[in-house]
Amino acid sequence: MNHCIEIKNLNQFYGKKQALRDVNLSISQGMFGLLGRNGAGKTTLMKTLAALLPTKKGEITVCGVSIQNVAEIRQMIGYLPQDFSMYPSMNVGEVLEYLAILSGLTKDQRKERIEMLLKKVNLFDHRHKKVKALSGGMKRRLGIAQALLHDPKVLIVDEPTAGLDPEERVRFRNLLAELAENKIVLLSTHIVGDIEAACEKIAIIHEGSVLYHGTVEALLQRAEGRVFTMTIPKHELAQMKDRFSITSMHSQGNEVYIRFIADTLVSGANVCGPNIEDAYMLYLHASGAQDILSEHEAGGAW
Amino acid sequence: MVMLFIQECKKIVGAIPYWLFVAAMLLALFSQGVFHFVGEPLQEPEPGGHYGTKQEENPAIIMPAAFSRLWSEFCANDYTTYPIGIVKHIKLSSNKQDKMAEIFSELTGISKDEVLQRRQETAVASHDSGDAAFQIGENSMQQQEDGSFTIASEKSENRTSKENLTIRDDMNYVDFRRLMQQADDLLGGGSDYAAKNLISYGTVPLTYEEAKERYELAVNKDHITSGYARLFADYAGVMVLSILPVFLAVVLCMKDRRSKMQALIYTKRASSAKIILIRYLALLATVMLPVIMFSYLSNIPIWSAYKGITLDYLAPLTYAFDWLLPSVMISTAVGMFLTELTGTPAAVAVQSLWWLLDTNMGIQSVQAGYGLFRLAPRHNAGAKSYFRTQDYLDHWENLIQNRLLLVGLSLLLIVCTILIYEKKRKGFLGENKFFQKAFFRIRDRSH
Repeated sequence: MNHCIEIKNLNQFYGKKQALRDVNLSISQGMFGLLGRNGAGKTTLMKTLAALLPTKKGEITVCGVSIQNVAEIRQMIGYLPQDFSMYPSMNVGEVLEYLAILSGLTKDQRKERIEMLLKKVNLFDHRHKKVKALSGGMKRRLGIAQALLHDPKVLIVDEPTAGLDPEERVRFRNLLAELAENKIVLLSTHIVGDIEAACEKIAIIHEGSVLYHGTVEALLQRAEGRVFTMTIPKHELAQMKDRFSITSMHSQGNEVYIRFIADTLVSGANVCGPNIEDAYMLYLHASGAQDILSEHEAGGAW
Repeated sequence: MVMLFIQECKKIVGAIPYWLFVAAMLLALFSQGVFHFVGEPLQEPEPGGHYGTKQEENPAIIMPAAFSRLWSEFCANDYTTYPIGIVKHIKLSSNKQDKMAEIFSELTGISKDEVLQRRQETAVASHDSGDAAFQIGENSMQQQEDGSFTIASEKSENRTSKENLTIRDDMNYVDFRRLMQQADDLLGGGSDYAAKNLISYGTVPLTYEEAKERYELAVNKDHITSGYARLFADYAGVMVLSILPVFLAVVLCMKDRRSKMQALIYTKRASSAKIILIRYLALLATVMLPVIMFSYLSNIPIWSAYKGITLDYLAPLTYAFDWLLPSVMISTAVGMFLTELTGTPAAVAVQSLWWLLDTNMGIQSVQAGYGLFRLAPRHNAGAKSYFRTQDYLDHWENLIQNRLLLVGLSLLLIVCTILIYEKKRKGFLGENKFFQKAFFRIRDRSH
C-alpha cells in the first residue's frame, strides 16, 4: 500500500476567510514537521487530515485512501489536538479503556495495547491516577498513548510541546522520533527547536501558503553564506536593526553580539553556519513577512 | 457494544447530577405518598354507604348546571378558560357580549334586550347584596370524589330563583351543546362549555351496584396491584420522568465538550450511530433502574393487605415500561437532540416549557388525561381514583396511541441526533457557534 499522504491544491475556508491556499504536499514515512507561526494554518491542515474538517477544494489521499472515505481514514489516523483534555474524574487506565473501546479493540487487544502504551509513555506507574491530577507533560503523553491505541499508520500531533518544560519537551520529541520509525508522524509546531531536533523533512506555512517543502538539509543549504555574526557597540544596534534581520543577540558589557541575515558579506562580520531558525527567518523575510521579523528582533514571541 | 454501554452507564452513574436526579425523584414521589399506599386499602362496598361520584353525560344534570355557570360568568363578564392548559380570565368586548346575549336569547327563548336587562338587574342586585363579603353556610361545603370541594353559595341560589332565568322547555341537548360550543368559540376555546367538556357538569353519585362493579373490576382486571402501579406511574410521570431526564441527557452530551475530549472521540473508529444509540440506551437504563426499584418499593407493601386475592406481581414493571418509559424516552431524546444541535443547555428550557404546559393541562376530564399529545398521561383525579379501572380500560387505546407517538417521536429525534453528530464530527455546523451565540445572548439579556 502507498505509505504516504498526498495533498493536492488544497484550499480551505472559514466563511469568506481563506485559511489554506493551494497547498501541495507529499508526506512519506518518518517525522514530518509543519512549521509556522500561530494562525498560519497548521491546525486547519491537521484537522483536515484528521477528517475533522470537510475539504472545500482540492484532493487528499492518506495511504492511497481518499479523505472523503472518513470511516477508513479514522482507522488509519491517530490524532492529538493542540487543546485537549479528558474526563477529569476517570483515571489514566479507565480513560484509555474507554477510548480503546471506541477504537474498536477487543478485550485482549485492549489489555495488551494499553499496558504496552502506558509503559512506552512512562505512565504505567500512574495508571490509577485521576486525569485531573496529571501534570501537563503527563497529560500530553497520555494524549499520545490514546492516539496510538489502534496502532494507526499516521500520527498527527498538533503543537504537542507547547507549554511543556524543557525536560518534558525533550522526552516528548524523543518519543515521537521513536514512533516515526514505522509510521508517518506529522508534527506541527511554532517552536523551531522541535523541528531541528526531530524532523528530516519539513514544510513552512505562512498565511495559509506553503513557503518551503523539503528536507531540513536543503533548507539550511539555501541559507548558507547569508547568516553572519558580529559584535557591535550598543549604540550601533538600532542602525543594524534597520539594515538587517537580526535573528538573535545578547549583551556583553557595552557591546552586543548579534546574529543576522544579509544578502552580502558585511564588513567586520563573520559568516557562520545557518540553523533552522535562521533559514526559517530567511524564508519569511523573502515572503515579505517583515512584521514577524520586527517582532522577533524586538524580542517578541513568534 | 456491551462494553461501551457499560462505560457510558458508569459515566452517568459516576457523576453528581445522576444522584441529584435520584434524590429529586425520591423526594417528589415521597411527597405524593406513593410509599404509603398501604394506608388506603381498597374495601369492598357495603350497601347503604357513600360511594363517591362519577361524571355522566346526563342532559338533565348538565344543562342547568352549565347554563347557571355561564349566566353567572356572563353577568360578571369574567370567564375562566384553559386554552393552553394555563388558566386564563376572559373579558368580552361589548360586541362579543351582544353575541353572548344572543346565545342566551336562544337558550331561554326571551329577547336579546331582555337578556341584557336581566343581566343589568343581576349586576345591581349582586352589588347591593355585597358580594364582596363571602360566607360559607352550614353544610354548604362538600368533598367531591376527585378530592376537590364544592361550595354551594346561598346568595347565588337566591339570586337565580329570584331572577327565574331558565332554559326554555323545548331546548334539546343537541341544540344546547351547539349553543354552548358557540359560547366556547366566543371565549376563544378552552372553556368547560366546549361540547367535549360539558360532561364535567354531569357529576352524579355512584350507586352501590356501580361501586361494586368498580371494585370487582379492580380485583379481576387490575388484580389490585395494577391500580397502585398506575397511581405510581401517574405521579412519577408528571412530577419526575417527563422533565428531569433532560438534565442528565444535557450533562452527558456536554461532557465531551466541557472535558475538551470531543476531538479525541470524533477521530475514533466507532460510528456516530453507535455512540449516540449507546449513550441513549445508557441514559434510559440508568433512569429506569431506580424507577423500577421505587415502583416496587411502592407496590410491595400492599401485597400483604390483599390476602386471598390474585395479585399481578409484574404490574410495577409493566407500568414502568408501558406508561413511563415513553416519557423518559422523549425527555432524554429532546435533551440529546437539542444539546448536539446547539451545543448549549437550551433543551432544559424547551423541555421545561413543554412540561409546564402539559402539567397545566391538568386532569379536567378523563379524556384530557389521556390526550394524544400528553407528555405525561394522567389518570388519577384524587383519592382512590386509581381503582377507576373502567376509565383506564375505556381509554387504553388513547394511552397506547399517545405512548407510541412519543416513542416514534423520540426515535426520530435520536436519528436526527445521529445525523447532527456525524456532521459535527466532519466539521460541519461550525461547532454550534451560531446557536451558542444566540443562547448566551438570550441568557445575558435575561440576567
